Amino acid sequence: MADIAIDAHGLGKSFGTVRALDGFTLSVRTGEVLGLIGPNGAGKSTFIRTVAGLLALDRGTVTVLGQPPGRGVANRIGYMTQSAALYDDLSVRENLSFFGRIYGLGRSTVRERTQRLSDLLRIDDEVDRPVHELSGGQRQLANLACAMVHDPRLLLLDEPTVGIDPELRHRLWDEFAALQGTGTTILVTTHVMDEADRCDRVAFVADGRVLDVGTADELRRRTGADTVEEAFLTLRGGAGS
Amino acid sequence: MNRERTWALALRIIRTFRHDRRTLGLIVIVPLVVMALIGYMVGDSGKEPLRVGVVPPALTPGGEAAPVLAFQDQLRRRPGIRVTDVTSEAMGRARVAEGSLDGLVLAEPIGVGPTASLGRITLVTPGLDVQVETPIALAAATAAAEVRGLHVTPGDLPGITVDRVSLPANRRPSTISYAAPAMITVFGFLFTFMITSVSFLRERSSGTLERLLASPIRAREILAGYMVGFVPFASIQALIVLAYATLILHAQIAGPVWLVFAVLILLVLGVVNLGIALSFEARTELQVIQFIPLVLLPQVFLCGLFWPIRTLWPPLQWISKLLPMTYAVRALREVMLAGAGLIDIAPELAALAVFALAMIVLGTAVLRRLRV
Repeated sequence: MADIAIDAHGLGKSFGTVRALDGFTLSVRTGEVLGLIGPNGAGKSTFIRTVAGLLALDRGTVTVLGQPPGRGVANRIGYMTQSAALYDDLSVRENLSFFGRIYGLGRSTVRERTQRLSDLLRIDDEVDRPVHELSGGQRQLANLACAMVHDPRLLLLDEPTVGIDPELRHRLWDEFAALQGTGTTILVTTHVMDEADRCDRVAFVADGRVLDVGTADELRRRTGADTVEEAFLTLRGGAGS
Repeated sequence: MNRERTWALALRIIRTFRHDRRTLGLIVIVPLVVMALIGYMVGDSGKEPLRVGVVPPALTPGGEAAPVLAFQDQLRRRPGIRVTDVTSEAMGRARVAEGSLDGLVLAEPIGVGPTASLGRITLVTPGLDVQVETPIALAAATAAAEVRGLHVTPGDLPGITVDRVSLPANRRPSTISYAAPAMITVFGFLFTFMITSVSFLRERSSGTLERLLASPIRAREILAGYMVGFVPFASIQALIVLAYATLILHAQIAGPVWLVFAVLILLVLGVVNLGIALSFEARTELQVIQFIPLVLLPQVFLCGLFWPIRTLWPPLQWISKLLPMTYAVRALREVMLAGAGLIDIAPELAALAVFALAMIVLGTAVLRRLRV
């Protein structure tokens, strides 16, 4: 099972009368970039939060890096939330240092990682500025840096490219690819369909379950569609009828 | 419990404060402005004196009138009041009722002849305004203490006492001395509660709490980090309030100063956790701010600052015994006014420790609920 990073079977989770997850089944392979694609409210974030150990399931089983989600595996997971979850009054460096220390890194390790990440994400000029002075894109880069500061084996990215200009979006996806090169598994949600081509595999999510999984090409071929968007709509219509 | 993580969190809070100069300024400036105002309002100068009536004793050959006369002499020397002689108690009561006197102070002798001492002192006021009643009561109590020092050993004389505070015989405390312990408590409570609940709400709305909960940090480490992070700021604030009260307003601190901080820190530890727990009941910062009067005002009214607790309606007395501020104010008064030591205020410290522990348990339960 070492080649499976996340293994989810028949997950069910309701919030009141809303079924956020309803028979959600998905395996994420170690070292791949898997995109969860679907409309708002499809259950993407609920699944990510379950993997991050923030939600108790009503039904189903999930293992993350061979363990149930929670504090036991938290050290090996990086979680980038939808909004830039940073301390506005602190500088990027102070944010990185805080999250690094929370994950048990020593002072010198934190300093070295801050340097490496700010080089990698090209935010060296911003690293000593308070977060509230940064642009939306810079904040998102800082947000990603905080999720990566402890060198996680699994990165959970919840809509990392929302509200970001196309150029920066490209750079982010380049970073994801580079990370993947170091053996990191990445689970990323998006509702931007053209990002599907940058994932190794794509899972279409709607109504709390996975409609289909495959490479973008496979999904297009299977549905006879020209674009990922069409493929999604075809599958969704088929599932509905 | 991982000390590294707790310390990282405490350090983060301290850094946030350092960057947020406005909040830092408010912690210091607001208490000073309010203290200056209260210092003026209840201070012994700058206002029209209060009109107080006394009934001069009949000059009996035995000498029983002497302690009463001495008391009235002392009363005349108190600042902020103007003493007028009235011919009889009935006359005085009538003038209080019609409003031409703010209060009437009656003194009785105990014993006969030259050994007579000062007995019961009764303050007759309209009972409408504590801002009038309290200064007169204080003046009477101080005058009685002066006489007590002249005539008998301290302690066997009933004086007018405010709440449980008895006046040290050889001091002339100003009114601010009575307000200072309560003000340290109220400011400490207010700022700690306000800032913890708002910062924790922000932690929730910005998503950083979610990020923390996805990390290996434990609920108790989060709470401990917050407590450690807030203690220095509450202490700095208390230090400034204390310095202002003693140096500028001439309030007294009879007991050990470290004990004042011990009481305050114990209170702050509980309040940090209360703020965190209650912040989960609010969605917006505006809603958090609305908790402040709800949490703070009953405690301020029932802690003995305005009305002595034993004069309250009995059910309110019970409530006041459940409120942490009651114990903090009582402990600080004992230390600052009566010079009490650690042993003397052990029951109050125990009550505050119980409050802090209960709030830590509550905070832990609230945080644990958020995780798998």
